Amino acid sequence: MAEESFLTDDFLGQLISVGEVDILVGVPTHNNAKTIRSIVETIQAGIVAFFPRERAAIINADGGSRDGTPELVVRAVIGDARPGSKLYALRTLPSISTQYASSPANGTALRTILAAAELLRTKACAVISPESTHLTADWLAALLRPVYTETFDLVLPTYRRHRFDGILLTNLIYPMTRALYGLKIREPYALQFAFSGRLGNQFLAQNPWHEETARAGSEIQFTLAAIAGEHRISQSFLGTKDRVERHSADLVPAMRQTVGALFSSMEPNFSLWHTKTSSQPIPTTGTEAEFTLEPLRINRKRLREMFSTGVAELEPVFQSILSPSTLAELQRIARLEEVRFHYPADLWAKTVYEFATAYHKAVISRDHIIQALAPLFRGRALTFLMENRNGSADDVENNIEGLCLEFERMKPYLIEIWNGRE
Amino acid sequence: MPLEQDVFWYKRAIIYQAHVRTFHDSNGDGVGDFPGLDQKLDYLQELGIDTIWLMPFFPSPLRDDGYDIADYYSVHSSYGTLEDFKRFLDSAHKREIRVIIEMVLNHTSDQHPWFQQSRSSQENPLRDWYVWSNTDTRYPEAGINFLDTELSNWAWDPVSKSYYWHRFFSHQPDLNYDNPAVREEMWTVMKFWLEMGVDGFRLDAVPFLVERDGTNCENLPETHAILKEFRRKLDEQFPGKMLLAEANQWPADLRPYFADGNEFHMAFHFPLMPRMFMGVKLEDRKPITEILQQTPEIPPSCQWCVFLRNHDELTLEMVTDVERDYMNDSYAQDKTMRLNRGIRRRLAPLLDNDRRRIELMNGMLMSLPGTPIIYYGDEIGMGDNINLGDRNGVRTPMQWSGGWNGGFSAAEPEKLYAPLIQDPVYGYAAVNVFSHKKTQHSLLNWMGRLIAVRKTTRAFGSGTIEFLYPANHRILAYVRQLGDEKILVVNNLSNAAQAVELDLRRYKGNILIEMFGKNIFPRVGEAPYLLTLGPYNFWWFRLRRV
Repeated sequence: MAEESFLTDDFLGQLISVGEVDILVGVPTHNNAKTIRSIVETIQAGIVAFFPRERAAIINADGGSRDGTPELVVRAVIGDARPGSKLYALRTLPSISTQYASSPANGTALRTILAAAELLRTKACAVISPESTHLTADWLAALLRPVYTETFDLVLPTYRRHRFDGILLTNLIYPMTRALYGLKIREPYALQFAFSGRLGNQFLAQNPWHEETARAGSEIQFTLAAIAGEHRISQSFLGTKDRVERHSADLVPAMRQTVGALFSSMEPNFSLWHTKTSSQPIPTTGTEAEFTLEPLRINRKRLREMFSTGVAELEPVFQSILSPSTLAELQRIARLEEVRFHYPADLWAKTVYEFATAYHKAVISRDHIIQALAPLFRGRALTFLMENRNGSADDVENNIEGLCLEFERMKPYLIEIWNGRE
Repeated sequence: MPLEQDVFWYKRAIIYQAHVRTFHDSNGDGVGDFPGLDQKLDYLQELGIDTIWLMPFFPSPLRDDGYDIADYYSVHSSYGTLEDFKRFLDSAHKREIRVIIEMVLNHTSDQHPWFQQSRSSQENPLRDWYVWSNTDTRYPEAGINFLDTELSNWAWDPVSKSYYWHRFFSHQPDLNYDNPAVREEMWTVMKFWLEMGVDGFRLDAVPFLVERDGTNCENLPETHAILKEFRRKLDEQFPGKMLLAEANQWPADLRPYFADGNEFHMAFHFPLMPRMFMGVKLEDRKPITEILQQTPEIPPSCQWCVFLRNHDELTLEMVTDVERDYMNDSYAQDKTMRLNRGIRRRLAPLLDNDRRRIELMNGMLMSLPGTPIIYYGDEIGMGDNINLGDRNGVRTPMQWSGGWNGGFSAAEPEKLYAPLIQDPVYGYAAVNVFSHKKTQHSLLNWMGRLIAVRKTTRAFGSGTIEFLYPANHRILAYVRQLGDEKILVVNNLSNAAQAVELDLRRYKGNILIEMFGKNIFPRVGEAPYLLTLGPYNFWWFRLRRV
């Protein structure tokens, strides 16, 4: 039986026309007509400014846009990008587009970009989010140069964020990844990153690309694959991160994409992470992270209610996931008045580790495990907000660092329950 | 068609640029001469060229390889006599080869008697034949052409104690074209050679004839008026003769030199040449298509002259700063290869002696719009000697054989005007006409075939061009058309094999006949026409309905 074709004939034809490239920039899209033109023009400007002599191309992997996004990508011409600009392109800079499916799936988009990068024998590839309204041409250089000229295999971003932006990242993904794999990677789940052809090809070949990863979590899996493969990783400070308004209903899907992928990675990589006892910094261009402090209105009452309700309603589920002492402690703090509410770092780390172990042992449906973590995360988020509501940027950083150290301190407990308790 | 009846001959010509001094020495004095050139006309006829463009051969102190003329009415004694020139001219015409000579209008040598008289006193009748000034501050907007050697366009003359104007070397004072006597004298010079039978002039440095305050003294209306007057006289008195402009300008600035078909017949397309090199290095058609898109239409009787290399440096004046840096880094990493704003190297060394790239570049030269010029020696892939100063490294003796002095001269090697190339790759022992002739697939024999195939169609010389923009940007494809005759040209600018789909629907029903092997390719239909090309490969197809 013939092997299944992943790329369409039309897209293959476009790739044949593009030919071998040094630099590839992939843009996964889905109904991004409002922003895509300026995104592509900024990418073009970045390539022309910082890689004027390199063979480069832009590839759009579209998940079924109905607003003409792919057409806008293909039509964005370098000459239109900067009227009166002194930038001059020596080469043709092709922009091509393919629709990989009729509905968006981050993993399939990444797979499409990786497959294109492999076919074009790309030396350095960047993935840029179509929603990056703060994107500048400098970002391209910051992401791609370490790969193209300094032999790094993966370049992840660091950003200037609002102190309360990305709490899932600062309170779970970052501390846990750091504790597990011993590397201080600030944004393991990045929507903007760059990688070498070597890493891209390896990930493309090794990843099973089953339906689950096709939908979600491929970005963090990519980072984890780089860690597991002991590839050279660096970070580049890009500037201000776009703040995306999230609804409470977005939390569980976001946790599936990130926490689910992180938990999934632990089983195959056990031999790698169980020996790490501390964390090391990784080469970073610019600052590791910056925080802005504008006041933000937060509905603390609602967060606490969601936590308390979750603890009460999900008790039967928690009984199969958490240790009795952890559950008892959670039930205790669920009863605290709002002003005295506090979900301490050590308890949070212990909670997460017990969830990870439950996920590993599949004590119940793994998706239910991730869903059950959501109300507890809201409780931890509330504590983080309270602890840092009057803090300076340094205070916020110290708070996160403290949490990370707690995750590292508690790691022997993770190893113990991972291997031991049924 | 007899030579004198073919008035548009220059549109179909294939020009060979040679220097008498470099070509063949008949009397063993170490310097090429007209009898020597005469002896080699059979070689040129066999190659297939039909026009020779000769570099200056007039009496001269040779401080700028003859572009510093000291007498416009004679031949430099090293090259022979006026009678020798006439004999050569007749021999060329008998072989249906036309001869274009150099005419340096803008300036003379400072050794020219006109300048000697002009400087001798303020009252001398020829004083006003040159541009004199009491200060060196006039025309500050005018650029300096030879940046590596000249600091100013004014030079102090200690004899007449005033400054004279020179746009090139300081030993080349500019003639004063505001003086009617100068204009009349220069027409008399041209008439002298036209009456002898030369077929045209390459007019050197034409943008600089006239100076005006507040301008950069280039391309001035007054200069165009003078050139039009020369053309009017030429058409009236010598129909069928041709004027070729040397004006290193952007295409839009060059366009006025064609006027309404009543100024120059031809002009060099300077900006195209570096972009052909750039396109091959970048493996991208963009530089080439871009400059040709910017090239304005010219009157039907006019023609561009296109070339890969010539006696000067590969000029990078008509490129952007980004492009110039790229070209220097790509083709002249050794800084001694750079001169003024260009690269002083020959074709083969520029292309790493890569036969495939040399063929591709010549293929484009012969198929893009314009009359092609082959620089002497490039047909056998001669090398250069960057240890010789100025542009002399690309003006070394022609390599005829592996024998004594490469067959160029019987003189003692020390007496040669310049040393032969001797290195193991490009030296005369390895690269020479004799050995190329013996090898069926030599570059020389391939060039002969290329020229012969070009001559099978007039579409290349006089046809229109329509670019096809296939998605594969490493492919440069175009259709040349003259009447019903259509030629499809497909060039692979890349070092790797390429597949390309061409939209040929407007030629639906035609078959493709490959012009070198005459093999038939499939008929064009509605679907994109798929072609594959090897590295640096090119195809010429005749489109034909059957």
